[in-house]
Amino acid sequence: MNRVDALIELDNVRKSFGDVPVLKGISMFVQKGEAVCIIGPSGSGKSTVLRCINGLIPVDDGFVRVGAHRVHEMRSEKQMRALRHQVAMVFQQYNLFPHRTALENIMMAPIQVLGHDRAEVEERARKLLKKVRLSEKADSYPGQLSGGQQQRVAIARALAMQPDVILFDEVTAALDPETVKDVLFAIRELVEEGLTCILVTHEMKFAREVSQRVCFTDRGLIVESAPPAELFDNPQDPRTREFLGQVL
Amino acid sequence: MIAGSMLSYEGKKRAVLLLIALGVAVWIAVDAAAGGSAHWSRVLARLPLLLTGSASGWPINGGFVLNIMLSLASMALATALGTIMGLATLARFGPIRVPAFLLMNFLRNSPWLVLLFATLYFLPFEMHVFGTVIPFPPFVKAVIGLALPTAANFSEVIRGAVQSIHSGQWEAARSLGYGTGQIYRHVIMPQALRRMIPGWMNLYALLMIATALATVTGIQDVLTILNTLLAMENERVIVYFYLTILFLFIAYCYPIAAIARRWERAVKGESL
Repeated sequence: MNRVDALIELDNVRKSFGDVPVLKGISMFVQKGEAVCIIGPSGSGKSTVLRCINGLIPVDDGFVRVGAHRVHEMRSEKQMRALRHQVAMVFQQYNLFPHRTALENIMMAPIQVLGHDRAEVEERARKLLKKVRLSEKADSYPGQLSGGQQQRVAIARALAMQPDVILFDEVTAALDPETVKDVLFAIRELVEEGLTCILVTHEMKFAREVSQRVCFTDRGLIVESAPPAELFDNPQDPRTREFLGQVL
Repeated sequence: MIAGSMLSYEGKKRAVLLLIALGVAVWIAVDAAAGGSAHWSRVLARLPLLLTGSASGWPINGGFVLNIMLSLASMALATALGTIMGLATLARFGPIRVPAFLLMNFLRNSPWLVLLFATLYFLPFEMHVFGTVIPFPPFVKAVIGLALPTAANFSEVIRGAVQSIHSGQWEAARSLGYGTGQIYRHVIMPQALRRMIPGWMNLYALLMIATALATVTGIQDVLTILNTLLAMENERVIVYFYLTILFLFIAYCYPIAAIARRWERAVKGESL
């Protein structure tokens, strides 16, 4: 794979929290339009990788590039702004703003951060709500929505920033099986439309169906990276085999 | 025993309060029949003076109304100062945070009466700023003296409310490109404000009670007036006057505290 053409490039990224090393030299490339799943046991650094890509967590060492942004060199929130415009994120706990309605949650950042025109943003927001099939919930507050509905609003909120990349951090982990379906359906649509997605997930079946490549992480390293059919059916590394043996 | 176990905690509390109120009413009635009514009529005659500072009830020269005005002015000042102090203690920049933190702890841990005396003696009776003379009458000194500890306590209310907002809100806002100031303005403060209101109201009730201390500054508040008045009354009546003032404060503060408590419960049940 040609790393210069890649939209996202991580090279030998290291990060410790206090004395605990979480990332011990992560290298990965993601092409434009690619959907990459990151799987692995909890505590292996999956979520930290995502947060290093959009600068929520500063890296200790290594190289992180998203498009033209050299993330590892950024020091202030101001420098991050253009990056955050390009990279959106959806969280496990949804993190919607509880004092605003679903529609307002989607409209806030494009108006307040990007300075877009309100009428234009509202039209975009309503289209996005329709896309995640929640048009009738526009005026509901997050507290009045189910977990799956909140997560779909969170996806719409991320899309409203018109990002090039969306990072999904275990977005179905807090949901009951019934509503997981709806959220995965929404994500699948985005992948099929060609949006670049990086997904940390425990849904192995979904990872297999939706992604072009799966990375298996263990103890702060990417152990194995391959197309899903290869990684799931013919894992090369013994640690990958052990993990898949436990979860499949 | 059986009746007790059937009542909920709230029910029991209400029953106990009712019993106490009933006891007080009975005691007053019995005492009034035993000759206390003459004393109560003395209190009634002086009530306009206690409330407004003038014997006819108008114009307002002081009294309990002055206590209320003092508490309102002091609370306004304390809210402004406390907001600044609270935000300063939240600052990431050390040279702002540390002094604010020290000042806040100093004010919070000093006796209110001592702070009141301190402002009384440290503040000049007037100040010259660029040719204009700003006077500091006792009322203004009392406002400042009571506002200082209240502001320190309010800054803690703010800090607690801001820190009680889930860290995911910060993460989500930052991932959407918001800067720190914008996050406070659009995401954290609107949520924290709701959680501050009960603490703010409780603090106001406390401040109102503390206005009785302002009698040391010599303003014509309800306690100062009472002291002057008692010189002219016979000794047996004193207790009736003090009971009346006690009741005035309770009647004013209890509803505020009760509403604050109810609101507190409502906010606690809120998701996230």
